[in-house]
Amino acid sequence: MKSPLPETWSKPPAIANPVLRYGLILAVAVYAVWAIGTLPFDWARISDGVGRAGRIFSGAFPPSFERPGLMLEGFLESLQIAIIATAAGVLLSVPIALMSARNLAPMPVYILGRGIIICARSFHPVIVAIIFVKAVGFGPLAGMLTLMVYSIGFVAKMLAERIEEIDWGQVEAVRAAGASYLSTLIYAVFPQIMPRQIGLSIYQLDSNLRASAVVGIVGAGGIGATLANAFKRYDYDFALAIIMVIVGAILISEAVSGMIRKRIW
Amino acid sequence: MVSLDTRPEDWVRFTPRQRLTRFAIYAFVLISIAWAMSNVEINWPWLLDAPQQMGDLFGRMVPPDASNLGTILRVLVETVNIATIATGAGVILSLPVAYIAAQNTTPNQATLWLGRFILVTSRSVNTIIWALLFVAIFGPGVLAGILAITFRSLGFLGKLMGEAIEEIDRRPVEALEATGASKGKVILYAIVPQVLPAFWAVSILRWDINIRESTVLGLVGAGGIGLVLQGAIDTFNWQEAATILLAILALVVIGEFISAWLRRQII
Amino acid sequence: MLRIANLVKSYGKADPVLKGLDLEVPGESMVSIIGASGAGKSTLIRCINRLVEPTSGTIELNGVKLTELKGKALRLARRRIGMVFQSFNLVDRLTVMENVQSGRLGYIPTWRAALRRYPKQDIRRAFELMERVGIAHYANKRADALSGGERQRVGVVRALMQEPEILLADEPTASLDPKTSEQIMALLRSLSRELHLPVLINIHNVAEAKAYTDRIVGMRYGRIIFDDVPAKLDDEAMERIYSGIPAEDRRADAPIPAEASAIPAERQVEAQPS
Repeated sequence: MKSPLPETWSKPPAIANPVLRYGLILAVAVYAVWAIGTLPFDWARISDGVGRAGRIFSGAFPPSFERPGLMLEGFLESLQIAIIATAAGVLLSVPIALMSARNLAPMPVYILGRGIIICARSFHPVIVAIIFVKAVGFGPLAGMLTLMVYSIGFVAKMLAERIEEIDWGQVEAVRAAGASYLSTLIYAVFPQIMPRQIGLSIYQLDSNLRASAVVGIVGAGGIGATLANAFKRYDYDFALAIIMVIVGAILISEAVSGMIRKRIW
Repeated sequence: MVSLDTRPEDWVRFTPRQRLTRFAIYAFVLISIAWAMSNVEINWPWLLDAPQQMGDLFGRMVPPDASNLGTILRVLVETVNIATIATGAGVILSLPVAYIAAQNTTPNQATLWLGRFILVTSRSVNTIIWALLFVAIFGPGVLAGILAITFRSLGFLGKLMGEAIEEIDRRPVEALEATGASKGKVILYAIVPQVLPAFWAVSILRWDINIRESTVLGLVGAGGIGLVLQGAIDTFNWQEAATILLAILALVVIGEFISAWLRRQII
Repeated sequence: MLRIANLVKSYGKADPVLKGLDLEVPGESMVSIIGASGAGKSTLIRCINRLVEPTSGTIELNGVKLTELKGKALRLARRRIGMVFQSFNLVDRLTVMENVQSGRLGYIPTWRAALRRYPKQDIRRAFELMERVGIAHYANKRADALSGGERQRVGVVRALMQEPEILLADEPTASLDPKTSEQIMALLRSLSRELHLPVLINIHNVAEAKAYTDRIVGMRYGRIIFDDVPAKLDDEAMERIYSGIPAEDRRADAPIPAEASAIPAERQVEAQPS
């Protein structure tokens, strides 16, 4: 006797355990309600804001390029900061990455290396910039140090991951031939990581260029400082011009960096 | 390349042409660096003094002062809320933009350019700059911060989602069109299931980045723990600043753990 | 009844891929289309449900002129045309049931589709068809967890769920091993008989075409040059359909007289005015 055909069907849920499933949905709902509730939304201020937005935008158009000297100076400084920070950061990333690769470094060194990377990555460059400004004063030096740390946080981490993925056979072969530690590095490790390192460096140059525009806002030099001043003085048309230049530079830099990286892949 | 009739003692690693190219590249890089270094105003005494200054600063931070921990943690939670709400809003808003910015789903050339323009603008303007703008419009506070992060996230999410949409297998799309399904249903059944994993992965990744971004919003007045940190630094209360920094560090590290774990569950 | 009249498909200025085809497929027959690669078999099949847009000519299905429809009317007409694909074209991450029910997307409201709350009779019909082809126990499995032959069965059920007036199959067995391939062909034939459904199959395995279909249409370089029962497909006819290379065909191209199916290509060249 054949059983009758089913008339209902429902899709098996993604989370099988009903307690877990409903518990999760409930938790998310409760969080959403609570989080939105704790945020002070002042409706009067919001409606004011819309009016103010109109004023700001009309003040911002047309963008004022009347002080090209100032913009160019700020922009060039940002570029210089980015170049130096990338060069220094990338150079420093190599030993740090070597220290942070599980297959090359002994445990205590590994922990130290990874610790450095975690500290470098966890703090937003703006926070790092503020600290450096307090330590070494206003100006591009603080910006360079900030972006060096920023570079190390990214490049060393990616490089360490690449090192952990290298073909160990090549290292063994060179070692078996009697090479010293340094020679092994140069002949077996570096050739494998060089392409990735170059790609990362170019990517980081692009990243640093973007970031240098911003660390200037807290006093670390570059066009960010010019922008912050414009905002403070309500020079919205100048500010818009600066933003447009920044966006333009970022687009060009991204395009160039993408092109170069595609060719070396 | 060397040919077969090269004598052994003539082996070189690179041909003359390759050597020239490599030399040119090295030269370009070194010249750029030299140009940068010569032009930027480095106050050399300050530079040499820097390690000592850093050490000095570090010394003043130890031991960290945890007396205000309650306030710090409360504001930290507010920071997480800003990041989470803004990521949620950004995710929802980025979906239609991703749809029109993907070459295979965009209705026409004009919408494609519009979508790409929105994404590029959003991505190229840094969160802090967005925050400056919104603080100018809506005044200081968390609203400016949430909007800043939402607008910045839009570009990141939209670009990656757009790429995910462009990479789907078109064959189920063709099959469902052949059954007479309307555009909406084709999207629901043939496109959405294919981009869902990428959707979750990208959203979680952006949430992780936004946690970091939201820690600095307060520095321009847009809410979150940045304000407390700025206060401590401005009053030279380095020990409290140290506590705040450690709290931020803990937050970011925990956030990364959660995000990595969640992304593993997706696969 | 499917009627194709003077169907032409060309891409730009190059030679047309389909050069004025005429074909009639009465109800309840299983017709296979054979021919060398590039003969236009796939284009022909895809013109019927307008996955490929015909350049000129008419296609009529049970009185409805498919070539004149647009937008919603076209979608409504497509519901009545089922299609089975070489690569199965399932949505890998969805379950078998969802894939099968996607055949009903032209019939159900969007909210039902979104929430997966399919109508009762659709669910019953789905299980009925899945039982019939032997995959009912896979209803909740993800489509990519199935083997090739099983996936093609899902594709067949999806097409049948549309309650189509005709079933098109574009090389349905090309991705399957020989044994599974025969199982699918046998399945299509028995379904065609049970459901009184005309089936048009684009196929390159001539042995299977002979064994499982009632009528064979042979194409060569955009034209139909053979249209008869499998028994009449002898070596000479095979030679006409499959020999030669496209370059020769291009040189030999000439308007084909009405009795073209009886004249081999080489003799057509001689008949051409120089």
